[in-house]
Amino acid sequence: MIVVVGLSHRTAPIAVREKLVLSAEGLPDFLRELVQHPQVGEALLVSTCNRVELVAAGRAGFESDLTQVAQACIEALSKRAPDISPHLYTHVGAGAVRHLFRVAASLDSMVLGEPQILGQVKDAYEVARATGTVGPVLHRTLPRAIRAAKRVRTETAIGSGQVSVPSVAVDLTRQIFGDLAGHVAVLVGSGEMAESVARLLKVAGASIIVVGRTLAKAEALASAVGGTARPWSALADSITVADVIVTSTSAPHHVVDFEMVSAARKARKGRNQFFIDLAVPRDVEPRIEELDGEFLYNIDDLSKVVSETLSSRSREATAAEAIVRLEAEGYDRWADAEQATPTIVALRARLSAALEAELSRSLRGRLKHLSVEDRSALSKMLESSVNRLLHQPTIRLRQAALERGSELLSLEQLSAAINELFALDTDQDAESSPDNTADLPEAEGSSASSLPPRPRVVASRR
Amino acid sequence: MIDIATVAFYLGVIAYSAAATLFFLDMARRDGSNSRAQWAPRLLALGGALHAVHVVTASLLSRVCPIDSLHFALSFTALIAVGAYLALRGRLRLFALGAFIAPIALTFLVGAQFVGQSSESVLGVSRTLLLFHIAANVGGVGLFLIAGAAGSVYLVQERRLRTKQRVAQMGSRLPPLDALDRTTHRLLLAGFPLLTFGVVTGAVFSHQLGSASSAESLRSLLGYATWLLLGGVLVLRKTAGFRGRKAAYGTIAGVVCMLIVMLLYAVRASSGASL
Repeated sequence: MIVVVGLSHRTAPIAVREKLVLSAEGLPDFLRELVQHPQVGEALLVSTCNRVELVAAGRAGFESDLTQVAQACIEALSKRAPDISPHLYTHVGAGAVRHLFRVAASLDSMVLGEPQILGQVKDAYEVARATGTVGPVLHRTLPRAIRAAKRVRTETAIGSGQVSVPSVAVDLTRQIFGDLAGHVAVLVGSGEMAESVARLLKVAGASIIVVGRTLAKAEALASAVGGTARPWSALADSITVADVIVTSTSAPHHVVDFEMVSAARKARKGRNQFFIDLAVPRDVEPRIEELDGEFLYNIDDLSKVVSETLSSRSREATAAEAIVRLEAEGYDRWADAEQATPTIVALRARLSAALEAELSRSLRGRLKHLSVEDRSALSKMLESSVNRLLHQPTIRLRQAALERGSELLSLEQLSAAINELFALDTDQDAESSPDNTADLPEAEGSSASSLPPRPRVVASRR
Repeated sequence: MIDIATVAFYLGVIAYSAAATLFFLDMARRDGSNSRAQWAPRLLALGGALHAVHVVTASLLSRVCPIDSLHFALSFTALIAVGAYLALRGRLRLFALGAFIAPIALTFLVGAQFVGQSSESVLGVSRTLLLFHIAANVGGVGLFLIAGAAGSVYLVQERRLRTKQRVAQMGSRLPPLDALDRTTHRLLLAGFPLLTFGVVTGAVFSHQLGSASSAESLRSLLGYATWLLLGGVLVLRKTAGFRGRKAAYGTIAGVVCMLIVMLLYAVRASSGASL
C-alpha cells in the first residue's frame, strides 16, 4: 500500500504552496534522497500550481509500516519549508489510494474536471521512473490511477465544455466560424480578460487588430498579443473587416451601435459576425442581435455558460466518484492478494532450489551422458512441474488474502502453516529466487472466484 | 442473383438503421466518449455499399437500367447523397449531418420498394434525352438532399447560439455555422446545373406530349418552383449577401418542393402510370 502526504489549494494558500515548489532539475535529487530513508522504498512527487503531494511506498512493499513512511515524507517536505506542517495532510493505505485516484481523475482539482492534472500525474510518474524511485507498488498503483482517470474522462462528461470566460468566448467563435485561420478579430479597448481572449484567438489562427482611443496604448497591446494597432477613428472600418469583435472599454455608452453594425453588415454581404462584449457598462448596443448573422454575447452570457458547464460537471462528479470507487476497490483487492506474494515466492524458491539441486546431482552422475538439449528439456520440465505443483497453493493463498473475515483459513494461518511445514524464511528465500514473481497467477478477484470451493476449517482444528 | 439483391437490401437497411441510431445517440450523449460514434460513418458507408450492390444486382436481374426506372432512380438518389456526404464529411466537419443523411437514405431505400421496378416507357420523346433527364435529376436531387440537411442543421445551430441555450453541451457536436453555410452553397452550385437541365428537358417533354393532367401540371409547377427557389438563393447570395438563416430557409423550401415532386412521381409510378 501507499501513503500520500502533501498540501493543496484546499489546505494551503498560494503563499504556502509556492514554498514547496521544486525545480525540474532539483526533483530527482529530492526523490533519491527520500528513498535513502530506511523506511521509504518508492516515491514520486505530484507538483502543480494547486498541489504538492508525495506518493510513497515502504521499503518492504505491502508489509511496510506506512505510518513510518508517512512520517519520513512529512520530514522530507518540512525540511524544505519548516512552517508548512499545519497545512499538510496525510492519507494512508486505502485512503491514500482513493485520494490519488480522485486527484488523477480531477475530482480534487480547483476546477472540477480540468484536464491538465492527468498529464501532471503521468509526468510525475515518468520523472520518478527515470530517477529510479518507482518500485513494484507504485508501478502497479500509478497505471491504475491513470486508468481510473481515463475512464472518468471517457465515461462521464466531467471534462466537457469550457470553464473560463475567455475559453468559452473562443469556443463560441469556433462554433460560428470553425477554423479561425484567415479570420480577423478586432480588440476594442483593453482589459485583462479581453487580452486573454485576443491571445487565444491569435493562437487559434486569427489575425488581431487592436483599436484604442490612445494609439500608443493600442500599439503596446497589439505588440503584446501579436496584432496590429489602429486609431480610434478606424473603428467603423475595422468592424467592417472583422469577423470577431472583442470589446472591453470603460466608455459609459455604447461604442458599437446598431447603425455601425448595419452598415458593416451590408459591406460584408451578410457574412456572420460575432461580438464579445466584456465591458460593464456594455459597449455593444444589444439591438444588433436582431440582425441576421450578428451574434452578441456579453459578460453575463459568457459567465452563464461557464456556470452551466460547472454545474454540469458537478452533476457528473457523482458518476465519476462511483468509477473511482470501483477502481479503488479493484486496487484494494489486488493489494490484499499481493500480501500472499512473499509466501508464494519463498515457497517457489524453496521448491525450485530443491529440484535444481537434485537435477544437478543427477546430471553429474547417472545422467551425465545427456546432451545439452536433453539437459535443457529436463530443466524446463522441472520448472513446469514447479508451476503445476504451486498453482493451487498460489490460488488458495490469494483467495485467503481476498476473503478476509470469512470462515475460511486466513492468509496468516495458511502462510504460517506453509512457513512451518517448509521451514521457510520468506525474506531469505525470496531473495534467492531467480525470478521471484514470474509466472504467478494474476491476483484479480475473478481468478479466485472461478476456483472450486475451499474446504472450511472449524476453529478447533487450528 | 435475386438472393444477393434481397440480402444486400436487408443488410443495407440494417446498416443504415444502425448508422442513424449511432448518429442520434452521439447527438444525445452526455458523456465524453465518442467511441460509438466513430462507427456511425463506417456503418453508413457499409450501408451505401450494400445499397449499391442491391441496386446493381436487382437492376441486372430485372434487366432495367438503374436510372431508367423510378424505383431505381429513387434508390440511386439516396446513394448519391450518402456518397457525397461521406466524401465531404471530413473536409467540411459535417459529422452531425449524418443524423439527417442516414434516415433519408433509409427512407429512400425502403420507399423505393413501393414503386414499380418496370422500365418506364414514354412514347413520343427521345429515349436518350429521357435518360439524361432522369440522370440529371437523380444527381441533382442527391446533392440537394444534403444541402437541405445542411440548411436544417444550420437553423438548429444558429437558433441554439442565438438563444444561448445548451451552448456548452452541444458545442462540439454540431458543425460550425460557416461550414454549414458553405456546404449548402457549394452543393447548390453543383446541383443547380443538373436541376436546370432536368427542368428544361422536362419542359420539352411536356411540350412534346401535349395536354397534361392536373397532377402533372402541379408536378411541373413545383419543379419550376424548386428551380426558382434554389436559383434565387444562389443569385441573391451573390448580389445581396443572402446567406445564413435566409439561405437555409430558401434551400429548405426548394428541397421540400423537390421532395413533393418526387412524391408525385412515386405515387404516379406506383399507380402504374408511365413516366
